[in-house]
Amino acid sequence: MNYFNIIYGFLFLPIVIILYNIMPKKIRPIILLIASYVFYFLISKKLIIFIILSSLSIYLATILMQKMTKEKNESMQNASKEERKIIKEKYKRKKKIILIITIIFNFAFLFYFKYLNFFKHLLQDLFKITGNLKIVKHLAPIGISFYTLQAISYVIDVYNEKIEATPNIGKVFLYLSFFPTIMEGPITRFSDVNDTIYEGNKVTYHNFCFGYQRILWGFFKKYIIADRLNIFVKLTFNNYFNYSGLTVALGIIFYTILLYMEFSGTMDVVIGSSEIFGINIPENFRQPFFSKNISEFWSRWHITLGLWFKNYIFYPVSLSKPVKKITTFVKEKLGSRISSLVMGGISLFVVWFLNGLWHGAGYTFLFFGMYHFFLIITGNILEPLIIKICDKLKINRQNPFYKGFQIFKTTILIFLGELFFRANSIKDAFLMLKRIITHFNLNTFRGEIFTLGLDIKDFLVILIALLIVLIISILKEKGINIRKEISTQNIVIRFALYYALIIGIIVFGAYGPGYAPVDPIYADF
Amino acid sequence: MKNVIKSIIFVIILFFLIEGITYFLIPHQNIKKYGVLKTSLYEILSEEENTIDSLFIGDSLIYSAVSPMEVWHNYGYTMFVEASAAQLINDSYKYLEVGIESQHPQIVFFEANVLYRNPKNKAWYFDLYSKMESSVPILKYHNNWKKVMFKFLNNNDSFKNINVYKGYKYVTKVQSAQIKDYMHVTTKAKKLPAGNEEIFQKMLKLCEKENVELVLVSTPNMRSWNYSKHLGITNLAQKYNIEFIDLNIHNPLNIDWHQETKDMGDHLNHLGAIKVSNFLGQYLQETNLLIDHRGDQKYASWDESYKIYKNNLEEIIG
Repeated sequence: MNYFNIIYGFLFLPIVIILYNIMPKKIRPIILLIASYVFYFLISKKLIIFIILSSLSIYLATILMQKMTKEKNESMQNASKEERKIIKEKYKRKKKIILIITIIFNFAFLFYFKYLNFFKHLLQDLFKITGNLKIVKHLAPIGISFYTLQAISYVIDVYNEKIEATPNIGKVFLYLSFFPTIMEGPITRFSDVNDTIYEGNKVTYHNFCFGYQRILWGFFKKYIIADRLNIFVKLTFNNYFNYSGLTVALGIIFYTILLYMEFSGTMDVVIGSSEIFGINIPENFRQPFFSKNISEFWSRWHITLGLWFKNYIFYPVSLSKPVKKITTFVKEKLGSRISSLVMGGISLFVVWFLNGLWHGAGYTFLFFGMYHFFLIITGNILEPLIIKICDKLKINRQNPFYKGFQIFKTTILIFLGELFFRANSIKDAFLMLKRIITHFNLNTFRGEIFTLGLDIKDFLVILIALLIVLIISILKEKGINIRKEISTQNIVIRFALYYALIIGIIVFGAYGPGYAPVDPIYADF
Repeated sequence: MKNVIKSIIFVIILFFLIEGITYFLIPHQNIKKYGVLKTSLYEILSEEENTIDSLFIGDSLIYSAVSPMEVWHNYGYTMFVEASAAQLINDSYKYLEVGIESQHPQIVFFEANVLYRNPKNKAWYFDLYSKMESSVPILKYHNNWKKVMFKFLNNNDSFKNINVYKGYKYVTKVQSAQIKDYMHVTTKAKKLPAGNEEIFQKMLKLCEKENVELVLVSTPNMRSWNYSKHLGITNLAQKYNIEFIDLNIHNPLNIDWHQETKDMGDHLNHLGAIKVSNFLGQYLQETNLLIDHRGDQKYASWDESYKIYKNNLEEIIG
């Protein structure tokens, strides 16, 4: 079962809503917890044990740390300044041990399921080891990369005393296994949902309508656009050597569109499902294709992952003793601008190396990470120069044409990045790029464009659907709350819009024979 | 209370809207009468009822390898290829259902490669979905919007609605493969992905019920077929006591992988398809199950189709 499966939207979710609503307020969070574990069992079977172990470890660690914080605060009450320092250090050390053990324990599962084989391959490739390292084939618990990061964020926030650990075991288990977010995020911080996740507020008519409205919007993106592009993308990436350069280029563009529609569509279903229960979870996308540079893109695309890396990797690395030492040294020798570039560079390198690895255990993903590191660091280095050039040439950087150029340039760079992300190997990605140039033949393109699973009518549907998404994105970018606007319209207009959406999905959805649905791309991460 | 009434009204209007749209989208006459309207998906529905002797179900391997017009011209048997790119076995079942319902063929060939494609949904889900499709037909025929909304593009001449290639997709392009021993002997039989055998059993049951013979076939394919898959399908065929023709074992058709593939050994091109089609025509002749329809007035449209097919190919090949 995934979020686009009819069983989820029209059977599982309604049953949960009904059960949830008929129960007393106190029992409702337990219904959500049971529903989450049933959902997880349906998708991962016996691997459910790992999320139970992970949740248990997080619960015990945070409770222990909270107890220590309390003890520390009590002992510090009547202590002198000197004693306070010693007490602080003592408890910090103790809590650090718990933190490290918990992080290792949780990352050990992630490493075993996702990275063990990759590192074996890596060792084999690096040291030319032959035959000694056994490759174990196993299925990873679905969503392990998401719930592990979420679990770590909670334990670190408790360690840093940013939040208090909850003594409610059910709340911790629900936070880590909440069925809408368990497969593909968003990676939610405990403080984001602390107030709403265990409240058990009744499903209201308003929440129900708004939630399903958002779910339908996700279905629109996935069924009409992403699934329709799937065969074309598969064929171009797997058999690029058969197609003209233009077709390959179109396949690359289509893949990025597919990825965005699939992942952001999933987030619509996820956020809509949570909204029904009055649980607010953070947004993961904010019109990413209006970004003017790569850094901005990553603050609009998979936002919660970016924030996780910023809070738990970038800042700690930047503020770590070795990096501080290096930057102080560079500052003395080369000045503060270079030193801040060096500090950013080191931290960004770590972030993007791990970001690439998080997306998948493979060279293409590492390349994907390093590609973005290179683009961001180059952008940071060149920024003052570009400002100078613009000033000299009297180019107004606020000019809409200049902004349009920046958006266009960023989009092209994103297409290239996603090419490496999706390609079967780094070599294949380069060969695809080469083919775009060496086999740029308009006649061949004309002959083959409609042989890749899409006819002219499919292209027309894609175009219209993308235009609708674009218009809505522009309105959102302008700060217009479309859903609120719709809710203020009279009932005829509202009904007409909902009918158009539902019937549009049913009639123009790319399902049934002749189409192959996209697998939940991020669920494997 | 106001919200409950609003919701009920919403659902009632939605129900009537869907019913109305369903009326426009489901094919009304095509099964009953030749060539009135064909669906964009089930092209076989545009064929006159009970005129197809043999069906081919499978993925791109099949539509690249079997040209029914060649068989018609040389043997007088009517075949139809119901294949789609990267077909999943649950879709194969649907194609089989529609094909058998409208044509009652005597033999169905099923491309074995589909059995190794991982199905996205479990058999139980597929069952449920099939039931849903039966009660909400728009789910099955929704794609017919392509025909209904673009009616103005279609010629009124009913013959134009017929697929003269009968599901075959010819490609004359040549992209040589590097010769390798892709059928290297092994003892390990490749297992089918979970759930595929259950759907295959349903296909067999349907064929048995309709008195149709099902034959498994593996058309020449250097890139995704191997000996391990051959063993897996051989075991399956033995288990259900059905025939399995593997055209990869010892290269019985002498496929020239330098000349007869369009994409380095993955699919055959037109030259390869002629070989496979003639082999299958010969095979059908030897079964003595079918009648040569050439010269029969009822099948005159097939002669017309052949003329167009031949002219088109001559134009391309030169």
